[in-house]
Amino acid sequence: MLFRDNPVLARELLVNLRANRSFWLQFLYVLGLGTLVFMAWPNSESGGNQISSGAAQSLFDLFFFGQFFLVALVTPAFAAGSISGEKERKTYELLLASPLKPSTILVGKLLSSLTYLILLIISTLPLMILCFLLGGILLSEIVRAYLILILAAGTFGLISVACSSYFRRTSSALVVSYLVILPIALACVAMARTRDAQLRDFVSIAVLPPWCLAIWSLVVVLVGHRLLHPPDVGSEGKEVVDEEEEMKHAIGVVIDRDLFPDKLFAPAKRTDLMPDGTNPVLDKELRSEIFSQGTLMLRLVIQVSMFLSIPLMAVQLFFRPDWAGYYMAYVILFNMLVGPVFSSGSITLERERKTLSLLLTTLLQPGQIVLAKLLAALRVSTALTFLLTEQMLLAYVLVEELRGRFWTLLVFLAILVVTCLMTTSVGLLCSALSRRTSTAMVLTYLSLLVLFAAPVAGGQFLANFTGTTEDQLTALQITSPFAAAFSVPLPQHTEALSYQVEVKTQAVPIIPGTGLPLWAGYLIFNPLLALILFGLTYLCFRWRWWRAAEAV
Amino acid sequence: MIEVKNFTKKYGDFTAVDDLSLSIGTGEIFGFIGPNGAGKSTTIRFLATLLRPTSGEGRICGHSVVQDPMAVRRVIGFMPDDFGVYDGMKVWEFLDFFAVAYEIPRVQRKQIIGKVLELLDLTKKRDDYVNGLSKGMKQRLCLAKTLVHDPPVLILDEPASGLDPRARLEMKALLTTLGEMDKTILVSSHILSELADFCTMIGIIERGKMLASGTINEIQRKIQSHRVLKIDIAGEDLDSAAQLLRSNPHVRSVERFDQTLTCEFSGEDSDKSRLLGALIAQGVPVSSFAEQELSLEEVFMMITNGVVS
Repeated sequence: MLFRDNPVLARELLVNLRANRSFWLQFLYVLGLGTLVFMAWPNSESGGNQISSGAAQSLFDLFFFGQFFLVALVTPAFAAGSISGEKERKTYELLLASPLKPSTILVGKLLSSLTYLILLIISTLPLMILCFLLGGILLSEIVRAYLILILAAGTFGLISVACSSYFRRTSSALVVSYLVILPIALACVAMARTRDAQLRDFVSIAVLPPWCLAIWSLVVVLVGHRLLHPPDVGSEGKEVVDEEEEMKHAIGVVIDRDLFPDKLFAPAKRTDLMPDGTNPVLDKELRSEIFSQGTLMLRLVIQVSMFLSIPLMAVQLFFRPDWAGYYMAYVILFNMLVGPVFSSGSITLERERKTLSLLLTTLLQPGQIVLAKLLAALRVSTALTFLLTEQMLLAYVLVEELRGRFWTLLVFLAILVVTCLMTTSVGLLCSALSRRTSTAMVLTYLSLLVLFAAPVAGGQFLANFTGTTEDQLTALQITSPFAAAFSVPLPQHTEALSYQVEVKTQAVPIIPGTGLPLWAGYLIFNPLLALILFGLTYLCFRWRWWRAAEAV
Repeated sequence: MIEVKNFTKKYGDFTAVDDLSLSIGTGEIFGFIGPNGAGKSTTIRFLATLLRPTSGEGRICGHSVVQDPMAVRRVIGFMPDDFGVYDGMKVWEFLDFFAVAYEIPRVQRKQIIGKVLELLDLTKKRDDYVNGLSKGMKQRLCLAKTLVHDPPVLILDEPASGLDPRARLEMKALLTTLGEMDKTILVSSHILSELADFCTMIGIIERGKMLASGTINEIQRKIQSHRVLKIDIAGEDLDSAAQLLRSNPHVRSVERFDQTLTCEFSGEDSDKSRLLGALIAQGVPVSSFAEQELSLEEVFMMITNGVVS
């Protein structure tokens, strides 16, 4: 029953795998990776069929880390909706009331969300073996890499399924899964990249498996209990979240709408009618809907991100101020994860909650609606992201090397503002394009990866294996806030003279043809891009929904 | 007030509504009746400016539904059959939200919200969260929302669906009150008797086609190509009476059961009285002569074959 004849598994596999697109996606995935190997293949003219062990190693790294990140990013996208999706479709109670055991449901949900991903990973094995033939990599390393990938998929999948059972909305489950998985994934990557082979072996054999097993057992017990005695089904009355009541039982961060900085993202509820000229949609989003699903998700987001920021701040701002770019990268990553939660549901949620037809038959203009959605999402995402910048402020006051270059702080903050604008605009556009919030959210994350991370990761590959020039690379990276943050000139660190303010700074990449440094290019180009995205969102909303839709 | 001309809506090969036309005058309460999936909601969504027609035209208060949706939205109050409410909002906030969305100035809003709450008997629920309301209360709240801008036309899609019998009665009473306030109302239902009491007109739709529309009497007459007369005879000689009936050109068939003759009759009222006169002139002891009244449900079942549902 657990594996064979598991109705949950059978249904999901049938629905997921019978679509043509799963075949095409797999085909494109293998084709893409195949192209990478082809480009990196040693030139026959340069003699021999061997490449240097360094090149083989970097190809292996690309495969392993690329797929590892794929697992970390895609597993939650598949698994975080597995149980919350049932709640959203209102089939949760039907499922629970059936004689299926919680373990059957859990295994069915987990395997069905992982099968396709594991299929993708295994289908790249022949390519990996091809790289093995080039020499320079041990077979045992390949085997270990694939075992770790599958172990990671299982662990991340279970974490996502657990989040999915704790939250009512897929979007909340998705973002919390990402927040939990991200530090684990980064720690794994850091461990895998360490030069100490013995440590690596020890960790991969003696540490990872028992930890994974512990996480698995814990999640299975917790989720199993929740499925057997579900606390989150029942009357409509339970849908009301009483903020004050919730705050009494809250652990850790408490959100108080009347206090700074909480009131920045959650202004107090109104006690009287709105003044004339208020945009009602904006008012509604900020004052009423922000905590409609409870404050748990937001509190978790703030807690986890703050907790992570402490060691990062210590290393990247105080011990090595020249690494401030890496701290910025963390803040940007946080925004990339959290920003879409508030924007990608903006329009799809109105449809899913069946309030869109009420909204559309009022006298509100489409511009008013879309602008309000943008501003509300932007405000929440910016306020939350800037909670993480107080550490930077502190460092710029305390650390002498940074104090001397105070203007770079302003550049960093400007980059963050523009990044918030971008994540929100992309999320909103995806929300106008999609029919479901979960689709919109995954689409947003993918688009942001392409805009933000791909230019940096792809740049590495292009620089290694093709003849792309530095200038071309810089031009490609104009949409990436990561590249922009790393391009901000910071004092170079020299071991001996760390107490001295170093005059020399790193070389700043210049965008060809303009003479602008990369960060300035980012600051100029991306607000324009955001404006274009907003225009597209407006048009899309207007033509698709507002002006007599196909079916609301 | 409401005009629909040759409205057709197709989804691929499937025709949801086929060449539908209707006209509703000012102050009428039009009951739109049909089984599930007949095309009621499609037509209503088209009138509420939410659906592009495949072909055809609609006008409300002279404004085109397709060309000038904004003007139409100003004059209609729309209540969808299946709607949600926003989370984390109180009843008064919900109404305030829509009042602002309908551009009502603040000075009037307070009064209007109080009024509609009172009209819909929601005053006690003013400070409750909307997502905690029961289904019946939500229906009322949505009706309250449609009234905040005091529209002359109300378009209500199944306002009573899913309500318990008491709430249904209350909803009926509310609609009657609204009718008395001189509003033009288009209200749909799949239960005819629910609408018959207070609707001035009804339209029956099935499989995307309007089968009949008009006042209830008109429809009854239209669909009864044969009226049914029941004649009770006091004496024994029913056969000669039946003979006499059959000789009348308006009588199609005569059936005999016990002391009663039932005949299908296609004439006007004057023909009916002449028939009675003829029977009495021939000395038939008629003890009762009446047209059989068909109930609304019988009319409805006669028209719709129940193919859709």
